[in-house]
This record gives sequence, C-alpha cells and structure tokens, in this order.
Amino acid sequence: MPSVQTQYFGVISYEPDSTLEFPRGLPGFEERHRFVALRFADTQPLVFLQSLEDPGVCFITLPVLAVDPRYRLGISNEDRDLVGLPLARPLRIGEDVLCLAVIAIRETGPTANLLAPVVVNLHNQKAVQAVDPESEYSHQHALVPEEAPVCS
Amino acid sequence: MLMMARREGETILIGDDIEVVIAHIGRSRVKVGIRAPRELTVMAREVKLVRDENLAASARSAKALTRLLTHLRPAPSSPSGSGR
Repeated sequence: MPSVQTQYFGVISYEPDSTLEFPRGLPGFEERHRFVALRFADTQPLVFLQSLEDPGVCFITLPVLAVDPRYRLGISNEDRDLVGLPLARPLRIGEDVLCLAVIAIRETGPTANLLAPVVVNLHNQKAVQAVDPESEYSHQHALVPEEAPVCS
Repeated sequence: MLMMARREGETILIGDDIEVVIAHIGRSRVKVGIRAPRELTVMAREVKLVRDENLAASARSAKALTRLLTHLRPAPSSPSGSGR
C-alpha cells in the first residue's frame, strides 16, 4: 500500500483505489489533483480531505447531509461531464456520489460551504468542487445555530 | 454602473486590452467571450467566493487540526507542542 507524509496525521498509508482525482483541482488549489478522504472513529462524521501532493493541504469537511439532511445537490452539466456523471439524471448522495461541504473555522464559529460541495463520483473516484451559480445555499452556512448566552 | 444593450456577436471594449464578446444568447443564460491579458484573472463571481473560502478554510484548518489531533492522540514530542 502506498504511503505519504502529511503535516497533521504523520505518515498515512492509503488504498490506491481510494485516491480521489480532481481533474481541475479546487478553486484556489488548481494544481492539487490527488486527495484521500480520511475518517477517524473519534471525529465522526468529519472527513479530512488530505492532499497527496502537498502535506500541508488538508480540508476539514462534513457530508452535506450531516449539515442539512434536506440538502439538494445542484451540479452543472459541465461538472458532471468532467467527473463522468450522467447528464440529466438525479444523483443519489451516498450511492452515486459522495458530497462533502468544506468547513472553515471562524472566530464566530465554524461554517460550511454549501454553495460549492465537493462531489465525488463513487464509480470512478473523480471529483470536482461543484460551484452551482443557481444554488440557493450559502458559502458560509453557520454550523452551530446561535445559542442563548451561557449563564456563568 | 454603465449599462449597454448588445446583440449576439457584438463586442464591448474595456480599455485597450480587454474585449468582451456576447457569443450566444440563450433563453436564460448568455455565453460571454472575454479576451484579456494573461496576467488578469477572469472568473465567475461565485468561483471567486469559493476560491477565497477554500483559501481561508485551508489556512484556518491548520490550527483547528493541530488542536483536534492533540485530543485524539498523545501530543507529538516537538518543541512547539506545549499548550499555553
């Protein structure tokens, strides 16, 4: 099994078949084409998208359905084409595609990018961060609803 | 904002170096061709949002990951490993 040095997880080994291939990279990381999705029992349901080409690039993500159980995926024909997904057929999250929201940790709390989910074709492991211009979702969806101040 | 009415195939010039062509007008979308110097970045606004978001997420995840992983396993014996 091949292994790779990472900044946060040390040396990890991975199944070659589980490598995710981003033909276009991700916006801002256009030169990063190969990632692995790491999951740990203690951090469920988080999925860490670790670059195989840059030890320091690792995105924290969540399955979109963990963020919003009613999430509706919008993906352009161009993006479907890029990762070999059939055009004009509804995609089942978890069966046809893995769909992950990139998490950003902000001072005001974590947010999830639901505007542009990472979509992985589960039949060939090709992936794209699908920016849907017609999406009604936010790129900074608050993960923790505002809570009443805690009594001290 | 300057507004201009253009037909399919017509062009708008911005300065000396930038050309915007209305390549195709569909029912709900227009296809626009842009000719600009290589050093200018041209992208859809939402791609720029996602790009900025990815860069922020990656930069901020560094701290979060380090914190998270020290909870998961014994802290690595590096000189910077001491928490304050």
